[in-house]
Amino acid sequence: MAGRNKRNKQEAGRREPPPPLVRPAAAAVASLLVPGLGQILDRLVQRGLLLLGSVVTILAMLGWRISVLAHREPTAWAMLAKALARRPFFIGLILACLVGLWVWIVADAARLARPVRDSRGRPRRGGFGIFVLVLFTFFALGWQVSQVDPVRMVTEFPKALTPLGRVVWPWQAAVVRETVDRQASAEVQTPCTDNPPPPAVEKPGQPFLLADPTCGELSALDTAGTLLPGSTLTLTGRGFAPDSEVKLYWVDPLGNEFQLRQEGRYLSVQADGRGAFQTKVIMPYRLFPGNPGESSLHQVVARQIASLGRLRASEPLLLTIERMVETIFMGMMATLFGILFAIPVSFLAARNLMSGSWLTMGIYYAVRTIMNIIRAIEPLIWALIAVVWVGLGPFAGIIALTVHSVASLGKLYSEAIEGIDAGPIEAVEATGATRLQTIMYAVVPQMIAPFVSFSIYRWDINVRMSTIIGLVGGGGIGFLLVQYIRLLDYRAAGIAVWFIAVTVAVLDYVSAEIRAKFV
Amino acid sequence: MLEIQNLTKIYPDGTVALRQVSFTVEPGEFLVIIGLSGSGKSTLLRCINRLIDPTEGTIRWDGTDVTAAESAELRRIRRQIGMIFQQFNLVRRSSVLSNVLAGRLGYVRPLPSLVHSFPAADRELAWKALQRVGLTEQAAKQARELSGGQQQRVGIARALMQQPRMILADEPVASLDPVLAHSILGYLEELNRLDGITVLCSLHYLDLVQRYATRVIGLREGRLVYRGTKEDIRRMTDAQFKEIYGEEAVRTSAGLQGRS
Ligand SMILES: Nc1ncnc2c1ncn2[C@@H]1O[C@H](COP(=O)(O)OP(=O)(O)OP(=O)(O)O)[C@@H](O)[C@H]1O
Ligand SMILES: [Mg+2]
Repeated sequence: MAGRNKRNKQEAGRREPPPPLVRPAAAAVASLLVPGLGQILDRLVQRGLLLLGSVVTILAMLGWRISVLAHREPTAWAMLAKALARRPFFIGLILACLVGLWVWIVADAARLARPVRDSRGRPRRGGFGIFVLVLFTFFALGWQVSQVDPVRMVTEFPKALTPLGRVVWPWQAAVVRETVDRQASAEVQTPCTDNPPPPAVEKPGQPFLLADPTCGELSALDTAGTLLPGSTLTLTGRGFAPDSEVKLYWVDPLGNEFQLRQEGRYLSVQADGRGAFQTKVIMPYRLFPGNPGESSLHQVVARQIASLGRLRASEPLLLTIERMVETIFMGMMATLFGILFAIPVSFLAARNLMSGSWLTMGIYYAVRTIMNIIRAIEPLIWALIAVVWVGLGPFAGIIALTVHSVASLGKLYSEAIEGIDAGPIEAVEATGATRLQTIMYAVVPQMIAPFVSFSIYRWDINVRMSTIIGLVGGGGIGFLLVQYIRLLDYRAAGIAVWFIAVTVAVLDYVSAEIRAKFV
Repeated sequence: MLEIQNLTKIYPDGTVALRQVSFTVEPGEFLVIIGLSGSGKSTLLRCINRLIDPTEGTIRWDGTDVTAAESAELRRIRRQIGMIFQQFNLVRRSSVLSNVLAGRLGYVRPLPSLVHSFPAADRELAWKALQRVGLTEQAAKQARELSGGQQQRVGIARALMQQPRMILADEPVASLDPVLAHSILGYLEELNRLDGITVLCSLHYLDLVQRYATRVIGLREGRLVYRGTKEDIRRMTDAQFKEIYGEEAVRTSAGLQGRS
């Protein structure tokens, strides 16, 4: 019936459009003075107000941008000129839009005030093009206000390449080699005396170097400047890292050390599979201001350095793993506390349980309102508050996430409670079961699935959130990430980002799987 | 066995669902309640085991006043009265077996039952009940996985677990197709005839009433307006039928009756 009436009215309206209240000229003048007034006078109040509001807002925005661009100028005209000079395209565009809009509004008012119909005899219809222009102007304003700058984005892109590359592939920084410093030395006396130094004693498992003989002559220069080679020593080494390079050094009695050369090239030998080597060296030339006639003790040293050790996780990698674990636990603890607090709260927020009396209804509305407010405030903001409360660290993050979880789980749980089917409760009650039995047999089974599903969902959100809650000091990996970024250590930051991404992705999958099992 | 006197139920919103209803139920009867939708059939059945508290009147079960019974006493009365429902009212996410065992809750010690621990004898009983309704294969399934007819059979098995002396059935076949309706009512008839369980059942289809009822009462707008025997209902006239079902009701050739 009602529907038919409505249709009748529409048909009647089609046949006889209401006559305009003002003549086109009057409407145009009205809209010229106050944009939209012509439309309002012509009974198109909504349209008129919308247009008026748009023009006023655009004017205000334009004024604000101009004052930002040219706040020092004394007069309005000077400000406009300065702003136009600084941002000719943007200010010009908005001005053009504004003028165009105004003209269009005037034309619109005049057009709508004419009692005309289109070729099919339909009454006037509002044009929507004008609102497209309004929207366009707003987006143009938004572009400027939010400082969108694609040109800069493109020209400055090379700057981002290095950090981006490091963040995308940070794994060089994930491992370091242990630098093991294995060395052994043998004493060499020069010149030889009656009692040369004894050969070194070999201790099992330790590098060991034997010089044979243990005394000899250093190389020397004759008066003509030609080199007279010194004695040749046979060096035998054992107990070095197998299959790797051993460098040989000479240490004079003063402790000056230099790497041994042979024919201009540094001497190095390769230890064999069992870490042993044997080589011959000629005792080097040394300007040693020793007392002539007295013999002195030199040392030959065999040393393995550089990254001979095992690959080892780097500091950032270890820290990241540590923080990631902390983060996941933060999410878990926040979820646990959230669930524990949300369960009682959800009973208070379930309409079907609380509709008994005015008092309980009052509690219901109070709890609902508080939960809505808490949920409206992001966990990051709660974390800022919690940091003031309990100090920096994961506990602050846990508090923030717990507060948010209680509110959002409370709402979800209470909706699950509201959705409980009363039929099974009635049926179990009818068997003569006690209240507790009824709850265990008819209520709990209905609650488990939604409770588990919502809790897992929340756990997912909490871990996700806890990865960034550290940005404001709430502990976890976010704290580390923000530190690395501030130190411009993009590789380390990249490691953290990778861990976050992988954790969140895995979590996403796991939580979806678990929830699918329960639905 | 069951004696109802001047039963009146006024819901909190002021709806008068039952007005001064009085009747008695004898042991071994298959008493069918007929009446238009909203006439108070469900309200009447729920008052009997006090799922709903009546406003006025008395209900006597074996001489004890149900309306005055305190919780322990009420539970003892309830466990002797099985109930099955139009919407089956199974716990959909629990297993069939668990749903059936729930019928025993009024008998077992409360604490062990909370962790789903039942005496071996009761498990045996549950198995027999499932056997009786032909659902042993489905025992481990979740109730929601069963078809409508199967679910109602689980409902019957649950009622059987109470070893009831009476079964209240609130439109047990209204959500099932006619073939299944006969199957379910067949089970009830068997319980009635073989086990001597009194049945109090509300039904909508006249042919079902004529087929299964041993006695019929009719409700209209909360008043008891008709009492009839099996023979009476066979001979029921259109005038009587309209008296119960209202002017708009039409008695179709199939024996179905138009619901509002
Ligand atoms: N919880 C309630 N609160 C208020 N009024 C109710 C409530 N339950 C039922 N009623 C009303 O009481 C009257 C009887 O309802 P009842 O459910 O007993 O009818 P019925 O005969 O079982 O109907 P149907 O065949 O549709 O199941 C109806 O008018 C109904 O609207
Ligand atoms: Mg009913």
